[in-house]
Amino acid sequence: MSAALRSFETQWRARTPDALQPIREQAMQRFLKLGLPSPRDETWRYTDLRSLAASSYGEAGCAAQPSDAGTEAGAGATSGHAALTLVDAGQHAATITMRNGCPLLGADLPEINGIEINSIKELYKQDPSYLRRFFESASDADQRRWVLLNTALFIDGLYLKITGAVATPLVIRHLSQGGAAQAAHPRIIIDASPGASATIIEHHVSEGDSAPLSNSNTHIALGKAAQLEHYRVYATGAGATHLDSLDIHQSQDSQCRQFTIALGGGLVRSSLEARLNQPGASLESYSLLVGHEERHVDCVNIVTHAAPNTRSRQTARAIASDVSRVIFNSKVIVNAGANGSDSKQSCRGLLLSPSAEIDTRPQLEIHADEVKCAHGATTGRLDPDMLFYLLSRGLDRETAQSLLVFAFLADVLTGMSVSSARAAIENALISQLPDSQILRNFR
Amino acid sequence: MLEERTILLEISDLTARVAGKEILNGVNLTVNAGEVHAIMGPNGSGKSTLAQVLAGREDYEVTHGSVTFEGRDLLAMRAEERARAGLFLGFQYPVEIPGVNNVYLLKAALNAKRKAAGEPEVDAYDFLALIRQKMKFMQMSETFLTRGVNEGFSGGEKKRNEVLQMLVLEPKLAILDETDSGLDIDALKVVSKGVNSLRDPKRAVVLVTHYQRLLDYVIPDQVHVLSGGRIVKSGDKSLAQELERRGYDWVMGAEVA
Repeated sequence: MSAALRSFETQWRARTPDALQPIREQAMQRFLKLGLPSPRDETWRYTDLRSLAASSYGEAGCAAQPSDAGTEAGAGATSGHAALTLVDAGQHAATITMRNGCPLLGADLPEINGIEINSIKELYKQDPSYLRRFFESASDADQRRWVLLNTALFIDGLYLKITGAVATPLVIRHLSQGGAAQAAHPRIIIDASPGASATIIEHHVSEGDSAPLSNSNTHIALGKAAQLEHYRVYATGAGATHLDSLDIHQSQDSQCRQFTIALGGGLVRSSLEARLNQPGASLESYSLLVGHEERHVDCVNIVTHAAPNTRSRQTARAIASDVSRVIFNSKVIVNAGANGSDSKQSCRGLLLSPSAEIDTRPQLEIHADEVKCAHGATTGRLDPDMLFYLLSRGLDRETAQSLLVFAFLADVLTGMSVSSARAAIENALISQLPDSQILRNFR
Repeated sequence: MLEERTILLEISDLTARVAGKEILNGVNLTVNAGEVHAIMGPNGSGKSTLAQVLAGREDYEVTHGSVTFEGRDLLAMRAEERARAGLFLGFQYPVEIPGVNNVYLLKAALNAKRKAAGEPEVDAYDFLALIRQKMKFMQMSETFLTRGVNEGFSGGEKKRNEVLQMLVLEPKLAILDETDSGLDIDALKVVSKGVNSLRDPKRAVVLVTHYQRLLDYVIPDQVHVLSGGRIVKSGDKSLAQELERRGYDWVMGAEVA
């Protein structure tokens, strides 16, 4: 047994059983039996967790850590792109901070028309069966390994029930705070009633030079004709390790637009599993994956068309500079009987350094006859014709290259309907990408 | 007739190759300020290569000869330095760059040139007024302002955009590579009007073209025929008319004879 596994088991044994005990117990036993995923597992072949496995992890608690310097919501010195403000003040409905997975709701619980905000812990204290369906893991698949651990060990989380049409975005600020020898398991459930609509932005930031291992999970359930625009933005520091999983379950005619933006983090492993369960369900997934320095970004998307006439679009843009590595694996599964399924996977990679690496693998698994499935993946360097055109107009090389890098990402950025979030992400990219030194070394 | 003339561009015995193949085989050409030159020739004669070499494309390897621009060694300058010094290439096939806005590019280009000349950056308001005025002159649609560089433009729109850029940047030497190709007669007139508006005793224009048609609207001072990577014949505007009548075989035959 690895040191990491042993330490998680120790944490588990020290826990006082709560109302979710049977579910947690089952999840923990399965996790211990299966062990940590290794590069032999299908969706982990590009990400080696050996150094993680050799470390021991304690519990990253809910209380403000010493580095917090006494500020209430952890507004201390944040690293990386943590200072990013994704939504202008006054434009958003509310910001909820979750410190190491614990919602800091306090007495002044934000009140938003159309969204009920609850602590998961409080809810299951009242009625353990109410949230049960969200915690039952469907499979032992390797991409779900860390979700099992999250289920066993999460301390608290957020349950958001969307009941109406909410026009302004809700921001969840995940604050990772503490030492690297700790682990946190943030948990979010977004449950949209039939016909409801909302925009939810999850913003992951860290504080200080080191941050706890973050093993987060978000579960989205969309009722009939519900609409959700969901963002998850990783803006943690270079020392942070982030394992994040997102489950999306869609009912009839529901629409989900999902943006995954990896700007920071030392090791980011991000997965998305979507099930289009009923006819008319539509998913648009956009991934913007930026690797620089020694960062490792591994993104896995698995979309299952489980009903006829469902639609999915996956658009990914990956950029890697220095000695970074970016991976985008996407898979579309069309179940038997899901005729009329319509899917597209498009992934483009841009290498900005001879030592960087981008791996893309679009896959299709089709068990129905009448389907429309397209996929394409290309990886290359900056287009020399475009570069020469800009140079011939007098632009200096760094500016020209930066412009082209930025233009490469436009397909993902233009899809964002929260203009302030888009502007903030653009700004963060600009501050990060036109590192003229990186680009100069490339040529 | 002794007239004081300033030499703007002087090409001496220029040879160049691309992917190991010699394309230019000893080009000699002198362009004075105030002149319009036309370089004509059959397909594959090296016209576009000459234009790209002058603009500084690195895929082309200059193996021999020299080029001076206002007395400076042009070949020692990088593409962006040439542009800032006042050399402009109008591309035969302008590339589409989705995600980079037309206006942004124009402003960045103009400011790069002004910075090199020690001038302050252009005022945003003045710049937009300038663009609108030039766009009107080139009969371009307002939607141009919000679109990506050449993104989704028709062939004619791309060529108009090249001329628009030229008018905004006001180069000392404009090299227009088949800017007339693929244009209908109305677009050709607009493009010609743009080129003529830049004619000035201090500037020069080199028109690279396959057909004589453009030269009915932009009257050249000199016409050269490029064949096999060399200028094989030079003359005044009547040479273009004769070429139109007799075809390129006439010149190429004449060279052999």
